[in-house]
Amino acid sequence: MNPQNSIDLTAVITTPENIQFEYRIAGPFRRLPSFLLDFAIRMMCVITFYIIAFLVGGTALLPVGMILFLIMLVAFAFDWFYGLFFESYWNGQTPGKWLTQIRVISVDGRPINAYQATVRNFLRLADFAPMVSFEAFVTDAPPAYAVPTFLVALICMTLSPRFQRLGDLAAGTMVVVNERSWVPSNVKLEDPRVASLSEHIPPNFRMSSTLAKAIALYAERRSRISVGRRTELASHLARPLLKQFNFLADTSPDLLLCALYYREFVSKEAFSDAKRFAPPIASASMSRIAEIGPVATQEPALTPTPESLPPFLNHRL
Amino acid sequence: MRIAELLEKRRQGWIELERMCDSFRSAKYPFANKGSQVSRFSALYRAACTDLAMAEQYQLPPTTVEYLHRLVGRAHSQLYRSRQSGPARWIRYVSMIAPQSIFRDPCVKVAFVVFFGLFTLSAMLAWNEVRFPGFAERMLGAEQIKKMEESFDKPLERNFDQYVMMAGFYIKHNTSIGLQCFALGPLILPSLCALAYNAVVLGASFGYMARSDVDAGDVFFQFVTAHGVFELTAIALSAASGLRLGVGLFSTGGLRRLESFRLNAERALPIILASVVLFFLAAFTEGFISPSPLPYFFKACVAMLSSGLLMYYFVVLGYPRPDIERELANNEDNPWRTIGVDRATR
Repeated sequence: MNPQNSIDLTAVITTPENIQFEYRIAGPFRRLPSFLLDFAIRMMCVITFYIIAFLVGGTALLPVGMILFLIMLVAFAFDWFYGLFFESYWNGQTPGKWLTQIRVISVDGRPINAYQATVRNFLRLADFAPMVSFEAFVTDAPPAYAVPTFLVALICMTLSPRFQRLGDLAAGTMVVVNERSWVPSNVKLEDPRVASLSEHIPPNFRMSSTLAKAIALYAERRSRISVGRRTELASHLARPLLKQFNFLADTSPDLLLCALYYREFVSKEAFSDAKRFAPPIASASMSRIAEIGPVATQEPALTPTPESLPPFLNHRL
Repeated sequence: MRIAELLEKRRQGWIELERMCDSFRSAKYPFANKGSQVSRFSALYRAACTDLAMAEQYQLPPTTVEYLHRLVGRAHSQLYRSRQSGPARWIRYVSMIAPQSIFRDPCVKVAFVVFFGLFTLSAMLAWNEVRFPGFAERMLGAEQIKKMEESFDKPLERNFDQYVMMAGFYIKHNTSIGLQCFALGPLILPSLCALAYNAVVLGASFGYMARSDVDAGDVFFQFVTAHGVFELTAIALSAASGLRLGVGLFSTGGLRRLESFRLNAERALPIILASVVLFFLAAFTEGFISPSPLPYFFKACVAMLSSGLLMYYFVVLGYPRPDIERELANNEDNPWRTIGVDRATR
């Protein structure tokens, strides 16, 4: 867990490519629907099997004893081995987890193996504890219906930094959000005044990275905000900047932030391409040969400086 | 280059990676016979990784950075998948690592001493009516004893349907109880109480039935002989696995508590798996052989064969030998590897 982000529910993973990326950790309210879905799917499978068994069971195809044997075996298998099977063969997902777009992974970011899937699924019963019978509330309720309260799981999740239940702690796993998000697109700024206003911003003004982030977030969301609200939100940032740039006080704050966005992300040379000073050698020498003629007397420099290159190559980027 | 242009240029690669992630999601072997796809996928993944790594320097907008985090996460979990372990690794685990780690586990020894000690004690007390009058009645209850005597009153005879059905029932019922013992292990007391309760009740029943004046005793021993070995061992093992989990919580051996809990869960796993297998074997024996009218000699042979099998697996395969210990000292599947290193180098 990254200490800087410790208020966010993210887990930082370092990949073999030596890249750090973040997973969002799934909390109890994300996992409960997936558990209920899995439970419903399990029940439906078992009930479907029962119906088929009773339809086939009367005939001579299968004796009654065999049917009952299979029913009990299927109920047992679905009770204890459903999660284990899917999590180890579906790369950490059960059908319920797949529908709610979460996935089980090891705490170090690797996918879970069969051993971890076994431990976390066998320990599920401890997470259900304590079981409460309806008898405690209604005296004439049948004693068979014990309802899990999930208290152990909830307490464990609250205490652990990665929202792990007891089974997760024992297996060294965590559940992360695995959903795709919308592809970010460039912000459309149709207003022609944006570009012209950005020209007037003092060239020596340098944005801090937090300001750049705030402005980017604002520009990406402003299309979904009403005009009055835009002015209200933007004026907090814009008012001191207007004073700093010596702009007229009645400049639209929204327009100013858009201009800053345009300057920072659309028009500015954000970084220089490393290939800029290393144009393809072949084309350079070819052009030189064409210029100078068949006999190249000049010793070519090993690393061509911008001056030594023809001007059109210098401006290609 | 400007940021807007850069995003425009890279977006195609990201979308393609996203699409590949979608198409691989549920396939078991996503890259089988698709060499070109692997290289394309990993190239795209590395490109996305680089974009993410450079995000700070490029000053990409925050939504793009978050998008990249998710994209790299999804691609990462597709590329580095669960290792599909080959049969050789499984055979090694079953034939070598599991018996070795079960044999050396002190929790197994404790559970066996508690279970069979209490079982024997309770059986002796229940059997000796003269010295300890009323022990069996107080342990089992008069009604329970009457019910038990009635059920073993008539000679064993069932049809095939009942055999199969009862085997299914035993699998579901007994194995579930064994797995519950494991799952409730972190709370320690439930496992131990279940173990002691089972030992006392089973011991008292055996002792009572062994009395010379109880008529149902013959049929009772006809019934329990064949599957008793498997079942009693399985009960003790399931409690041992729960105990191992619980002990890890407070006897940490210098590790952090959570780390110790995780390690002990790894050690408890072969025990509970062995117990599940034994419960299955016991259920089939109990369903098919125990209630059949086969001669007692045959059932006793089954009991002896099964004890021989258990002896071979847990003692012969499990007995610590220096050559095996050295071999397993650095095996990543061996849950005792950290201790094994000390021992092997000593």
